[in-house]
Amino acid sequence: MINEYFGVAPKGDLLLIQKLGEKFRSRSLVHINSTREGGGVAEILYRMIPIIHELGIDVRWEVMEGDERFYDITKKIHNALQGYPEKISRQMWDYHFEVNQQNAGRLSLDSDAVFIHDPQPSPLIKFKKKGTWMWRCHIDVANPIHEVCNYLKKYCKKFDAAIFSVAQFAQEMPIAEFIIPPSIDPFSEKNRELGDKEIKETVDRLEIPTDRPIILQVSRFDRFKDPIGVIEAYRNVKKYNDCILILAGSPATDDPEGSEVLEEVRQYAAGDSDIKVLLLPPFSDKDINALQRIATIVVQKSLKEGFGLTVSEAMWKGKPVLGGAAGGIPLQIIHGITGFLVYSVEGAAFRIRQFLNNPGMAVRMGEKGKEYIRQNFLMTRQIRDYLSVWYALENRGKSILEL
Amino acid sequence: MTAKNKSFIFTQCVNILKSTGKKAADIHELRAIIADISEESIFHHTCQYFLKEHVLEYTNDFARWAGESLEESSLAEHLSNIDPYDYRNMQGLRNELLRVIDDYMKKYREPRRAIPGDEFYFNETVTLTFPVGIQAQNLAEFLIGIRFIDPQSIYYHFYEARMRLRNGVDDFSLWMEQVLGKKELAERIRAIDPFMHHIEGIRDFIVTAVEEEVKNEMEVIH
Repeated sequence: MINEYFGVAPKGDLLLIQKLGEKFRSRSLVHINSTREGGGVAEILYRMIPIIHELGIDVRWEVMEGDERFYDITKKIHNALQGYPEKISRQMWDYHFEVNQQNAGRLSLDSDAVFIHDPQPSPLIKFKKKGTWMWRCHIDVANPIHEVCNYLKKYCKKFDAAIFSVAQFAQEMPIAEFIIPPSIDPFSEKNRELGDKEIKETVDRLEIPTDRPIILQVSRFDRFKDPIGVIEAYRNVKKYNDCILILAGSPATDDPEGSEVLEEVRQYAAGDSDIKVLLLPPFSDKDINALQRIATIVVQKSLKEGFGLTVSEAMWKGKPVLGGAAGGIPLQIIHGITGFLVYSVEGAAFRIRQFLNNPGMAVRMGEKGKEYIRQNFLMTRQIRDYLSVWYALENRGKSILEL
Repeated sequence: MTAKNKSFIFTQCVNILKSTGKKAADIHELRAIIADISEESIFHHTCQYFLKEHVLEYTNDFARWAGESLEESSLAEHLSNIDPYDYRNMQGLRNELLRVIDDYMKKYREPRRAIPGDEFYFNETVTLTFPVGIQAQNLAEFLIGIRFIDPQSIYYHFYEARMRLRNGVDDFSLWMEQVLGKKELAERIRAIDPFMHHIEGIRDFIVTAVEEEVKNEMEVIH
């Protein structure tokens, strides 16, 4: 599988992965998370595990088990870490621990390296037997509910290291804290090259007009993604620049506000046949891929964002992008080089107009953006970073490591 | 370069980012943390700036934050004028950063605060270095190598070397001068202003200079 990435991913990343593979040959590594399907973590582990295995590392992916009550509790913990007011009672914390205790008996935790993903399995650290344990946090914990965050830290600070996606999410803890942004897989259904026929099939089925420039935002129907703001920007642009706006998203089962926001968006867009509001079924990866490929400009006008990998997806397809300066978006968009960062509806409208009226600049930024993603946000970089953190922790105290 | 065969061994570095857990929201806080933070963090925010995609408006992370997040343009200009390679160690560079900030604060006593989320986050790195498997014994081989290597390898030899070797020069020109005896070519490469180019611009300049030298050598033989 790793051969697929030659000629695509940076040579140095592939070389370092192989060198670290030699160092860790026959050593054991386990990733533990709470779901085998759905969500970005499972999606990337599914692709990552065979590559790590190919390096000669004895890698496993274990999934913890829990009942409905457990997942209700962990959903509340997740929300609280993202800043939504939630109360986690003593009994709830006890049950959270109890389920982890049961899992500790079932899972084999004696690997040389253990990556625990997100808060659900974090109490497993209490059952550490050996090895280097890393807590990988994928959540935006920049402004958490402190009571919940502090309780969880009781577990987190027992790990050898914590890993966050963005520096702003790191917490003050007495352990090493690494920053590893997430990544996209260039060969997944959402990012692989598509043939003209495949693209046309999506365009025809979703009835997308292609006779004018297309402005696209792909995101859940969530107020933090500011879909209303995107429509306002489009209306501003439309005064002098004829274009189509597509707002595409899948329903989020864990977001009760989703349908309310979708309805608001539909009402706000009513009467304008050039606005397409598309509610796509879950796992519409190929359709999203096709929409990103036919778009003239891709927008991610988020007001609050975890990381915003849809920006990387669009940039990987060479599209000019503009995004709200939130979460991980400024890590992907270097303002004026790989795209534009915007802070208002007016800013979004202005940058869309700039792109539409200066196609040469749009192409140049699109090309720069694609190269930037190639260098920094492909999955091979994330594998490189995981193995490097493991290696750094086995060589503690050194800031320069020669291989 | 190795003592054994005097080949130029292309090497690359990869930095893994670490958070120090410290952040500053205004210049007072920035100053207090710079005074106390690890040398690795000072190194990351100054010398390693060139490894990141950046705008040529600034020459280090502190200047960029002062200019873009605090909108303190004059401070940004002063910080951008600091040449980290003038200092033999990070303590000297730290003192210069503090001096510039102190001078600025004497004149402007009411500095702005960054908006929440836009604070300066102090990071540092763990650096992994490894040979990329390419060696050059002469300029023609070097030319093939430098065209092929990743930008991180150019960074390692052109920027990082200045601190590693503690003599302010890059690996490329040192090899050309000491092993190949090409003093003039070495001087041309040393004359590149390291602050005014992206890594690809540095690569283009070196390729052009070496190409000319190789061409001249061939013409002499002919």
